[in-house]
Amino acid sequence: MENSTPSNGFTRRGFLGFAGLAASIPLLASCAPNASGTVDSDTVLKFWDMPWGAPEYSDTAARIVTDYSKSGMPSWSYQTIQWNNFYQTFSSAIASNTGPAVSGGGGFQAFQFAELGKIAYADNLVETMKSSGSYDDFLPGTIDSMKTADGYVAMPWALDLRVFWYKQSLLEKAGADVPTDWDSLVTTGKALRKIGASGFGIAGGSGYNHAPQAIITLMLNNNGGLFDKDGNLDCVTERNIEAIEFTKQLVAENIIDPGMISYSMDNLVSQWGDDKVGFGIHEPGLALQLGDTTGDVSVASPLTGPHGDTGTLMFVNNIMMYTETPSQEASESFLEYYLDNMITLWEDDAVSRIPVRQSIVDLPIFQGNTHFVKIVKEYQPIAKSYAYPASAGFAGLAAVDGGMQLWQFAQTVLEGKTDAKKSLEDLSSELAKVL
Amino acid sequence: MTPTLTTARPARGRVGLAGRGAATPPPARSRISANAVILLLMALPSLLVILLINVYPLIYAANQSVRMGSLIDAGPFVGADNFAEVLTAESFWQAAGFTVIFSVVGVFGSWVVGFAIALMLRTRIPGANTFKVLLLMPWVIPVVSSAMAWNWLIATPSSPLPMMFESLGLGRPLFLADPVLAMITVCLFKVWVSFPFMMLMMSSALAGVDTNVYEAGKMDGAGRWQQLTQLTLPMIARPIYISWILMAIFCVNDFTTVYLLTGGGPVGSTNTLLVLAYRTVFQDMRTGPGVAIAFLMTFVLVVISVVLYRQIRKSSLQ
Repeated sequence: MENSTPSNGFTRRGFLGFAGLAASIPLLASCAPNASGTVDSDTVLKFWDMPWGAPEYSDTAARIVTDYSKSGMPSWSYQTIQWNNFYQTFSSAIASNTGPAVSGGGGFQAFQFAELGKIAYADNLVETMKSSGSYDDFLPGTIDSMKTADGYVAMPWALDLRVFWYKQSLLEKAGADVPTDWDSLVTTGKALRKIGASGFGIAGGSGYNHAPQAIITLMLNNNGGLFDKDGNLDCVTERNIEAIEFTKQLVAENIIDPGMISYSMDNLVSQWGDDKVGFGIHEPGLALQLGDTTGDVSVASPLTGPHGDTGTLMFVNNIMMYTETPSQEASESFLEYYLDNMITLWEDDAVSRIPVRQSIVDLPIFQGNTHFVKIVKEYQPIAKSYAYPASAGFAGLAAVDGGMQLWQFAQTVLEGKTDAKKSLEDLSSELAKVL
Repeated sequence: MTPTLTTARPARGRVGLAGRGAATPPPARSRISANAVILLLMALPSLLVILLINVYPLIYAANQSVRMGSLIDAGPFVGADNFAEVLTAESFWQAAGFTVIFSVVGVFGSWVVGFAIALMLRTRIPGANTFKVLLLMPWVIPVVSSAMAWNWLIATPSSPLPMMFESLGLGRPLFLADPVLAMITVCLFKVWVSFPFMMLMMSSALAGVDTNVYEAGKMDGAGRWQQLTQLTLPMIARPIYISWILMAIFCVNDFTTVYLLTGGGPVGSTNTLLVLAYRTVFQDMRTGPGVAIAFLMTFVLVVISVVLYRQIRKSSLQ
């Protein structure tokens, strides 16, 4: 009589129905709108940041965020996003509406996401900072570099410039002077070659942006560039051809070591350390990377191009706000606080970047770094972005900076087999596909 | 009324117990459909999970491959344009060519080395098990570590191997900077990383071969080479084909080896289709063409697997 047993109230059908209902709750919840416009006490807003240097950076930045939350303001969480696949991380989070309210990121990420309607423009914040006077603390042109026709896509916090470095002990050994222009770079390079060192250190490995950025620095140094004033692709120019011919000359004279076409950044830094590179382009933190405290590795003054021009490549590191936020007001309030308190990162020596604020430049700890002071004084005024001569950035620059086209172009140049004009024409047609 | 398990089971039970056919059993069709419904319902959660994990991404990716957008917004429908663009691009065919070279050398190179070592370890040598463990090291060590080690060995003029070549008067080979040498280096690295897997597969296959067969072969006058080609290889043909299929899949889907050692360079000489697809999607931010490359790659992989699978069936029949 097994089937006459009364039901215990939990039949298979009931179980399956219950399981289905339980499974659907989170699904339905995730579909519900979440941007109420106000922040209740339980809401934790998300700030995603990048690992900008030493491990102390993230700890200090997290502390700044925690202090904000403790001060009675809405709660914010701090999360570090690794550079590996960062675009994928941000894209998937934003596409699934689980992204941050405020974040750091790639130099042109804000322009890219703004084009997709995911960025909350910072115009209100800029006005607020103008009222409070903190706007005037920013170095000239840094906030404007974030301005598009629709508004400010982000707020700047640091500069990343390409700088000419030299190793004094190697130059002395080679009996060479610190180069001041392209011709003297060749002379110094030949002298360094004689003692087995490279006169123009470059990391041309696939996926590394160092070589393309170095070559574009030479283009900008010669008043060339990838675009015209209106932001249209325009890279097959006489000035650029000259820069490529010059790079090919450095390759032909072995001033650029032939093996450098495959160097990673680690390879290049180790070559600087092993006295195999005497001169080259690098980020502002090279001396720190090498642990050089004696001043043997120093910043050279910007080179002068064959027509008397100067210029170097600059990236403006920035922080952006997203439309997918529980409260835009809360995002703006937090970002203003964070930008004003980032000074702690330099005070605590947790970051080795060029700040965009004069108050940080004036700090004794910053003034104590002769390399950084020289970079701010001599390089920042002549720095140009990828978009040069256009003043504003645009979404396509993200693909230009991170894409395959530039380093494949750089490898072609470093191979030394292709005509300068032809390699620029190939670059132009490849860039046209991603822009 | 839909038949249920509660009505079907007692009927079956009564028939069984009484053995007289007093109760008419319900039609078989009803019983099966009732069971099928219950089974389907029980399996439904798992099926849904499988669909969500496997089928949904595939459909989503297929949709992306015919659109021109980004990871956030799939973008407008462009039909087969992405496939046409990819198939007419020089970089695709360069990557396809190296993927073939990389896979062929990876499969057969690692098999030859692995099989040869498996044969050697079959003979009675002291410390054979210790050798086996040591020989497994390239397979066991994470590729990230071994790629770093190889990079340290060969990348710069200060690296040990170029210095050794130079001191022997052989010049300074640009292992990673010369396109041809870079291709050879990447393929050698793949063989070095993969031969222990082949060695294990072949060792276990050889262990199943009856030694009496060789005695009989010897009596029939078969030499060592004939024993290898006429006895050993046919007898272990099935595991050989299986190992080839597996290694072919490993090679075509190998991202880390190329990405860590050369990144696909110099000038695209060591780009594989997988690295190209990755870079197209995540660095060029062109999702449609990148996914199209991945789909084409999958299609080729399926064809290779089917061909080799047929060989397995043939060898089984023989």
